Amino acid sequence: MKIMLQIGLVFGICLLGQIIADLLPIAFPGSVISMILLFLLLVFRIVKVDHIQKKADFLLKNMAFFFIPAGVGIVAEFDAIKNSIPALLVVVVITTVLTFGSTALVVQGIISLQDRLERRRQRKGRPS
Amino acid sequence: MNEIFASPFFGITLCVLTYEIGVLIESKTKLAVANPLLISVVLCIGVIKLFSIPLASFNVGGELVSVFLGPATAVLALAIYLQLARLKKYLLPVLAGTIVGSVVSVTSAFWLCRLFGLDVALTKSMLVKSVTTPFAIAISKNIGGIPSVSVAAVVLTGILGAVFAPLLIKLFRVKSPIAQGVAIGTSSHAVGTSKAIVLGEVQGAMSGVAIGLAGVVTVGLSLLFTGS
Repeated sequence: MKIMLQIGLVFGICLLGQIIADLLPIAFPGSVISMILLFLLLVFRIVKVDHIQKKADFLLKNMAFFFIPAGVGIVAEFDAIKNSIPALLVVVVITTVLTFGSTALVVQGIISLQDRLERRRQRKGRPS
Repeated sequence: MNEIFASPFFGITLCVLTYEIGVLIESKTKLAVANPLLISVVLCIGVIKLFSIPLASFNVGGELVSVFLGPATAVLALAIYLQLARLKKYLLPVLAGTIVGSVVSVTSAFWLCRLFGLDVALTKSMLVKSVTTPFAIAISKNIGGIPSVSVAAVVLTGILGAVFAPLLIKLFRVKSPIAQGVAIGTSSHAVGTSKAIVLGEVQGAMSGVAIGLAGVVTVGLSLLFTGS
């Protein structure tokens, strides 16, 4: 599909996501709703992979770039946090390490358990 | 001079140039700290401070860059869709991981802020540090935090996650690419996900799934802190 149409399709889905977000009684990010919408469109094959492939590749490969202004925006909050910066930094570092570690260990633990169960089931299923 | 800085081209050009410098430094040094996003943010702030450019002027172009965050998050759906078989098979570990991770994030932030004697508003602002910005702003407002502080904490956490993800993977000996992705997305939302995509397709997709799940779980958890 032509790149211009791909751009239009992705932006249109984002607009729809924003409209739904505004209508919802609870606060839910429009970008996450757009992600769910696009996912459903793909699952039900209304949108095909090559309808958005080029646009998606461009956005995903350069995702970090789009966060630059948000990062620079920290300077605006400097006054609000300047007295607590060392404490806040320590909190951010420790919690990020703890969150990463606990998540990774839980996922990896259950996956290896699941794989082991499956292997055992396969062994039992095989005629000996 | 100020009119030039207020042109949308100034902010965009500064972002692109500093980001490319970051990419160059990363490819030359191959150091984890040499993260293009981190380098770009530091250089942009340096330029703004050096020439006393108002943040609002930078943001004229900056907002045009930020607009793409929505579409960039949305197209994660494609990465997730391409990993659908894996996601179905490992839905239980992915769900369990994001729930445990989000609980650890919120409770550890709460107790550490208490430990350092930070005031209630600041503490509440920090609870949402691991979820993506729109979730963080909404939750922070709901529970009586300071949204702008939450945004700063979210961005810092994201950059930290993106920079140290490879190191944390080694530290916790995370071999499974699924576990790597879910851990990155749960601990450092969309900014971390930008690094997960670089690590691999599976990591990127799982990190994308974790952004949404961690956000929803954290909305639920935050209700516990509304009253206190």
